[in-house]
Amino acid sequence: MVSTEAATAVMKRPYEVEDGLVRLRAGRCPACNAVYCPARLVCDGCGHRGLEEILLAPRGKIYTFTTVHQSTPEFQTPYHLCYVDFDEQVRVMLPAAGEERPRIGEDVEIVLGTGPRLVGTEPEEGPHALMVAGPATGRDEDDV
Amino acid sequence: MSDVYVVGAGMTPFGKHPDKTAAELGAAAVLEALDDAGVSLGEIEAAWVGSVFQGMAMGQRALGEGGISGIPITNVENACSSGSTAIWGAAMSIKAGMYDVVLALGVEHLTGAFRGAFTPDESDVEAQRGLTMPAVYAMRAQRHFAQYGTTSEQLAAISAKNKRNAVANPLAQFKKPVSVDEVLASRMIADPLHLQECAPVSDGAAAVVLASKRKRAALGGSRAVRLAASTLKSGRAEVGLKDMTVEDLTWRAAEEAYERSGISPSDIRFAEVHDCFSIAEALRVEGLGLFPHGEYPARVVKGEADLDGRLPVNGSGGLLGKGHPLGATGVAQVVEVVRQLRGEAGLRQIPGARVGLAHCRGGKAQGVEGTACTVNILTV
Ligand SMILES: [Zn+2]
Repeated sequence: MVSTEAATAVMKRPYEVEDGLVRLRAGRCPACNAVYCPARLVCDGCGHRGLEEILLAPRGKIYTFTTVHQSTPEFQTPYHLCYVDFDEQVRVMLPAAGEERPRIGEDVEIVLGTGPRLVGTEPEEGPHALMVAGPATGRDEDDV
Repeated sequence: MSDVYVVGAGMTPFGKHPDKTAAELGAAAVLEALDDAGVSLGEIEAAWVGSVFQGMAMGQRALGEGGISGIPITNVENACSSGSTAIWGAAMSIKAGMYDVVLALGVEHLTGAFRGAFTPDESDVEAQRGLTMPAVYAMRAQRHFAQYGTTSEQLAAISAKNKRNAVANPLAQFKKPVSVDEVLASRMIADPLHLQECAPVSDGAAAVVLASKRKRAALGGSRAVRLAASTLKSGRAEVGLKDMTVEDLTWRAAEEAYERSGISPSDIRFAEVHDCFSIAEALRVEGLGLFPHGEYPARVVKGEADLDGRLPVNGSGGLLGKGHPLGATGVAQVVEVVRQLRGEAGLRQIPGARVGLAHCRGGKAQGVEGTACTVNILTV
């Protein structure tokens, strides 16, 4: 059973754009500070119900990556994927923007894009709306 | 609580069976296991049946084809660990004193049903962004490379070993040895994993008959193998930034199995582990505590995991060589361990093997480390 509140959360855009910077929506446990992206109903670490909504930093660091050469029909291969680590101590899987092979440890920023999905196969905007990790620009990251 | 014994084992050839249904494959494995045990249809008191993509009531269809009906039948779906979860359930029912003779079956008919790469369920956020199962393991492999200096050649050696072992297994899907160079020359699926480092799509079934100590004595014979421990765990939520080369899920299933059986990693003589990808075998055996963390790929190159090595891994050919009919895989691993412990493994026999381990781990869902993991330790 999903509460109305959770159902609303699912419909929400999974990111916010502030001053041109894309921030992923996430949930932080007010009791133990564990961060989940996407958010969830109950904290797995401590069982606390109800996470507070936060926006992740617009930049992270590539933890690992791959180049996918075979996928399902909705995707145009080859494409790069990476796991991005954020300062908030949460890791998120994102397609990488552009053709350049990602590198472990590389700083990236979140940008909006269609990623490797073929035109016409994009899901309705929802928890899965598309965004990608692009090379970090020289621009200073603001606080948070 | 009664000890649990495997008193019968059966398995169809793994591979492509376009002319057979899943029910027919399942029934064939069941009948072979019953004959092997010397148990009649009417003696089976309950059954657990694992499958993943076979639709509703696979167990009733397969057992019905095999002449078994009316008993409690429990259908199990637990990703690639479905079959071994069936064994866990069946063993638990004997330990609980509910039954004396229970069947566990794993069955899957996949060819024709699938093309391309497996993905997590399509509602999964990561799958919608393009994550595939090979990509998950490819990204873990990139970390193993970065942290331990592991190379593509070393991973290819894992595939070459398992495909070589499969040649000695008449039930295996692949019948030809493949060299390290041939593995590396095969098509890239998800960098650094090549086609020959990914388990194939397969059809097949495997079954075991489990019995209580009392029933085992009544059956007589000396071919029974003791199931010293059977454990099941699910993946923990991923909180924080964990080392993706570490298999917490595998270790928790193994730790409980070692504890329950009183058997330690150093007692294990050989292992069948879930090598859905070449890198997966390394992550498993390191997670099981059978090889030092980060060192397995280099040790494979030295021959330590060969059939005549210090600790043979996937002597059956593993998923890479024998084939991977998802729901059947976990049961087939136990069938292999049973045949090794009975000295019935033919050309791939490990001399003097008395303790073997089967590890099965499946699936991926956003936010958890893995779906399900089982460890079965068997001994004579
Ligand atoms: Zn918490």
